[in-house]
Amino acid sequence: MLGNEAVARGAWEAGVHVAAAYPGTPSTEIVTNLARYEGVYAEWSTNEKVAYEVAFGASMGGARALTAMKSAGASVAADPLITSVYTGVNGGFVVCLAGDPGMASGMTEQDDRYFGRMSSMPMLEPADSQECYDHIKLAFELSETYDVPVMVRLSIQTAHQKSIVHVGERQAVARRPPHRKTEKYSLLPRFSRPMHRSLIERFARLTEYAEATAASGELARVEPGARGEGFDGPGWVVLAGGGAARIGVVTAGAAYISAKEALPEASFLKLGMIHPLPVEAVRRFAATVDRLFVVEELEPYLEEQILAAGIACEGKRWFPQWGELTPVRVGRGFVEAGLDLPRWAEEKAAEDASVIPRPPVLCTGCPHRGMARAMKKLDLDVHGDIGCYDLTTLPPVEHMHSAFEMGASIPIEQGFTRAGGGEHGGSIAVIGDSTFLHSGLTGLLNAVHQRTNVTVLIQDNRITAMTGGQTNPHNERTLAGVETKPVDLAAICRALGVDHVAVVDPYDYQACLDALKAGLAFDGPAVIITDRPCMLFPSKAAGLGAFTVDEELCNACQLCMSLGCPSLHHVEATHKGRHKVAIDTDTCAGCSLCEQLCRTGAIKPVDASGPEAAR
Amino acid sequence: MSAAAPPDAAARHYAGGVVDDIMVVGVGGQGVIVAAAVIADTAMLHGGLEVKLSETRGMSQRGGSVSSHIRIGERVVAPSISPGEVDYLLAFEAAEGLRVAPSLTPDGVAIVNTQQIVPPLASTGIAYPFDAVERLAAGHQHVTPVDGNAVAEGIGDVKVAGIVLVGALAVHLPFAVETWERALERNVPPKWLEMNFAAFAAGRSIGAGDGA
Repeated sequence: MLGNEAVARGAWEAGVHVAAAYPGTPSTEIVTNLARYEGVYAEWSTNEKVAYEVAFGASMGGARALTAMKSAGASVAADPLITSVYTGVNGGFVVCLAGDPGMASGMTEQDDRYFGRMSSMPMLEPADSQECYDHIKLAFELSETYDVPVMVRLSIQTAHQKSIVHVGERQAVARRPPHRKTEKYSLLPRFSRPMHRSLIERFARLTEYAEATAASGELARVEPGARGEGFDGPGWVVLAGGGAARIGVVTAGAAYISAKEALPEASFLKLGMIHPLPVEAVRRFAATVDRLFVVEELEPYLEEQILAAGIACEGKRWFPQWGELTPVRVGRGFVEAGLDLPRWAEEKAAEDASVIPRPPVLCTGCPHRGMARAMKKLDLDVHGDIGCYDLTTLPPVEHMHSAFEMGASIPIEQGFTRAGGGEHGGSIAVIGDSTFLHSGLTGLLNAVHQRTNVTVLIQDNRITAMTGGQTNPHNERTLAGVETKPVDLAAICRALGVDHVAVVDPYDYQACLDALKAGLAFDGPAVIITDRPCMLFPSKAAGLGAFTVDEELCNACQLCMSLGCPSLHHVEATHKGRHKVAIDTDTCAGCSLCEQLCRTGAIKPVDASGPEAAR
Repeated sequence: MSAAAPPDAAARHYAGGVVDDIMVVGVGGQGVIVAAAVIADTAMLHGGLEVKLSETRGMSQRGGSVSSHIRIGERVVAPSISPGEVDYLLAFEAAEGLRVAPSLTPDGVAIVNTQQIVPPLASTGIAYPFDAVERLAAGHQHVTPVDGNAVAEGIGDVKVAGIVLVGALAVHLPFAVETWERALERNVPPKWLEMNFAAFAAGRSIGAGDGA
């Protein structure tokens, strides 16, 4: 099972009733999977803050509840996250936070462990799928026993790896009676002051729990290490330049997996609960070794607490503060620290960097393509947001100038405009339908209220595509399959007070250009909405009839290639030193953008040409 | 290789801490993830072994490079394969195979689909390696090019090309055909099953050197 699948399975078996989340790599599969189980209400909420609050409301109502998010999602949900630790819970409440060191899916590689530290939320960090399953079940119990939300913290490596899990059955967990205690859930000063003192107290009891379970080897375990030949006991490692030393490693989660692969000979203190940190357990372990290493991804979160407790250790000196900690990066760190490790001594290339890169591109027929090309033609400063259209930052399209975070494009465009930006062709904010509904509404309302003259393009492909095609309020069905009322984006914009709202077909290049010019020229906030569905989700779109290139008429001008469509490719034939183009008629979606750009009439629908051309 | 491997073949194969590091690479949409799941499930269904799998997801769906790592042994720690440690490379696309070739061990086996998918980036002037298979074979001893697409089309659909390659890999692993077929059942929709069985069998013939 994937780590995320194991989280879902464990939560289901623990009797979870309500799960709310917003899609975000690498956490998405948790709620996708939970939604498939009987007895769970699961939803894709409009954003992570709403999801957190919905799930927390369920906990207040007495049911076991779960919310899941990526790192950036935790930033969005930070307000309820911190507040919920003050108040405590009713039904057990678990927060699954999946981080992305190495940024496989972009955005930041912030160290989310600090959310736990800042809020005093206890954190568990599983290292493989079995622990994902075990930890989530324990998290619900801890939450109810200690009256706090509990975080289960995953790295992408753990969330997206598959390993064997032994599963059980769903337990029936009765709903707890909801209590009408104003003083528990109301953050007025007279209530929140005693709440904070109670939180400090709860955390002290959790610290006792952390130390006790570490001492008994439950949530933390000491692994003696493979016994090296010629050594009296385990944990001895040969040093470069002669001699040997007893090496100890303190670590957790994905970092544990990499460190264990890199140096199985070392003694390990593997932590399961990282917050509170069982410092006395670390102290006892440190006394059994000559050198203590702390292996963790990103910040010296554990290292600083261990040093603060007066325990000597080595961490960020050897292991990088950026990127995913793979076994080879940990191994190289140990080699630099003076350990003699033949497996990691030599730097080995993983890839041949001379081979042409293959970054992800917009799919054939993607409705984002036409507008991207049009914005480039008009030389606009484009402030993008987060979604599939970010792929147009890559060559050959390269039309986007910023892609900051969810919902940022519209306010950024306002500030940019107020500062006098947009000297080239003008400037525009671009946002997708899901992102607009996530956090773009408030930005647009601000523009209307402040009378800031901005142009906003909402690229509506009727789905949350980049994360795998989840539903959003623009769709007709919810995650649970319930029929619902799809929102009307144009009506929302008019209701917010925008006077210029235009809907345009993104497959019509000239219409795109005209709509952009009209929006930019309008005096006041203007919204343009493109409206064609995603090619991949909810299911692969059939396409409108392929096009083909008449090689005789093609003059190799490369205008069609500037679209970056994966169905177009160069052929051997050339004209004036440039390669002519052919279309892969098997994959062509028939959006006709290349045909609209072509000036020689070389591109035609397959149907309109002779039977030979259909090949 | 006989249809039913003797029960202790896997035990002998993996004795003494041997870990099979298998990397499957290709282009988003080619079925790399399904193929990797089939390999991992086969090892898991065999029983008595630890199996771990890690993969790139999400961003790679849109025509980008995809890579899955499967590690099989009595004890497996990391789910990802370290550079220079790939024992078996399955490349669904020729350039992707060339890209990760440096990660093969000196004795590593590469089974490469000869399909070439030129990325849109090539239109900006960066050369696509049309000689990828030749370069791979020049640099490594055990390279088996397979025209997976042609074999798959012969069986009925180009979509099963990946399973042809999985079949070619299977001759190197100590698992019974029945186990492989159970793994296919877990990962392939029922109406495609017969075609996948046929693709797997065709791949095994190729892998065993019985001709293309």
